[in-house]
Amino acid sequence: MSSIKQKPGLYRIVVTHYIVAALCFFILAVMMLFSVQAFTGHYFHPQILAITHMAALGWGTMIIFGASYQLIPVVLETELYSEKLAWISFSLFLPGMLALVYSFWIFIPGIHMQCGAVLLLTAIILFTLNVYLTAKKKKQQTIQEDFIFSACLCLCFTAALGTALVFNFTTSIFEQDQLHFLKIHAHLGIAGWFLLMIIGVSSKLVPMFLVSSYQKTRLLSFSYYLIVTALLLFLADSYFSGLNYKTYFIALIGVAGLACYLLFIVKCFLSRMRKKVDLPMMSTFFSFILLKVAILAIPFIIYYHLKNNPVTIRYSLVYGVLLFLGWITALILGQTFKTLPFIVWVKHYEHLTGKVKTPMPSDLFKNSLLKIQSAGFMIFCLTFIPGCFFISQPLLYVGIGALLVTAVMYLANVFIILFHKTKIYGKL
Amino acid sequence: MENFDITDHLSFMKVEILETLRLVMDPELHINIIDLGLVYSVKIDEPVKQINIEMTLSSSYCPMGESILSAVKNCIEGHYTGFTASVELIWEPVWSYHSITEEGKKLLGI
Repeated sequence: MSSIKQKPGLYRIVVTHYIVAALCFFILAVMMLFSVQAFTGHYFHPQILAITHMAALGWGTMIIFGASYQLIPVVLETELYSEKLAWISFSLFLPGMLALVYSFWIFIPGIHMQCGAVLLLTAIILFTLNVYLTAKKKKQQTIQEDFIFSACLCLCFTAALGTALVFNFTTSIFEQDQLHFLKIHAHLGIAGWFLLMIIGVSSKLVPMFLVSSYQKTRLLSFSYYLIVTALLLFLADSYFSGLNYKTYFIALIGVAGLACYLLFIVKCFLSRMRKKVDLPMMSTFFSFILLKVAILAIPFIIYYHLKNNPVTIRYSLVYGVLLFLGWITALILGQTFKTLPFIVWVKHYEHLTGKVKTPMPSDLFKNSLLKIQSAGFMIFCLTFIPGCFFISQPLLYVGIGALLVTAVMYLANVFIILFHKTKIYGKL
Repeated sequence: MENFDITDHLSFMKVEILETLRLVMDPELHINIIDLGLVYSVKIDEPVKQINIEMTLSSSYCPMGESILSAVKNCIEGHYTGFTASVELIWEPVWSYHSITEEGKKLLGI
């Protein structure tokens, strides 16, 4: 009997990441409640910087790290290289993230911000090292491995540039202004880290959860090379020339890469054997729609930037909100309820299966809370995003209220799963 | 899938084992492993009281693989006292849509 055994030691590290991420999501919603005014101005604002880093690091990256320790061994079909390294990375990442977010919030670019940035960079390098050493154990190379490892490298570069930008506040490192490098830093993180990582992992998980018969990886290979090409061209061109007419062409290459991935997802969806699509998977598909809407904002950002029209700031803010609070959040809100119940279910029931009747993983969370969470998130998207664009405080408040409801429901359901008590319904 | 051979005196027991394995569910799809077509063969070594199940998974990276395999072992040993069960995971023939029974397709809403 042989298959990939889930190591019991992994449970604690994975679950810790999920809990901290859920708490960060709630704190993020509270931070937004106290920053409504900031969303009506320029995105280079202390509170917006704090919120963005809480969303990107405390929420998005924290949960991706946690899920990666569970899923990378599954996707790469080998065991995680080191749990100890994972714990060291976590214990550097959390204080680093908190120090950085707090320093941005009060905006004192001194020793606390610098220490936070260095701790984060070290934690991220250790995570990447763990992924690299895990992948090295495997003989056969897959396109998923290319996506995942490239994503980790991009995260390292994002953190390294971010650290340099933090030091640049007090010591002059760069000749150009912060905003020039902010675009590079943000897109290394968005397209390099989040997009490549999400494609790498989801290209294995989505077909698995849908029980899809589509197995070809050609579209994924096209997607990988197009996105990486677009990213490298954008980094070089943006460094030397800033946004210009060539940026349209570069964006087009990236969009073509993304289209290949979305086509892969559509093919998986159409060839699925499981016809009923549950709420977590619907949230996942909704996240792809939000990603497409975010992409639609790119030509407007470039166009108005080149015309020196300040409306480009509105488009940039909406673009950032759609990516961090739309795409990434919707994806996590859905996939948490596909992955976490399984992780907890295995711990409680693996030894009992086949002996007694047990609940199924989807019975471990409250579907009613998930429905409220989904409705809350939908209201958030329909009010907060237009609120940001049209600078409407009432819409922003309604949106943040809905996000708070979403965060509370999410947190409650995560704790319901984690505090699940083993139940049996009688002998088989 | 196991064929019924009337000349084999263990055929009835094999069919019974296959029916017993309908109690083992795929935790994600909520469908039993027989209707999913995951079980390829049942071998019984009567003198040593050993039952061997040859089966596959819907994918080689299925995170629930270990749970399904241990459920099969537990299910057999729980229902056939005195017998020990072993489960052999095989990847040929590769599991596909065509492996699902008509009943399984109905349950999946196909």
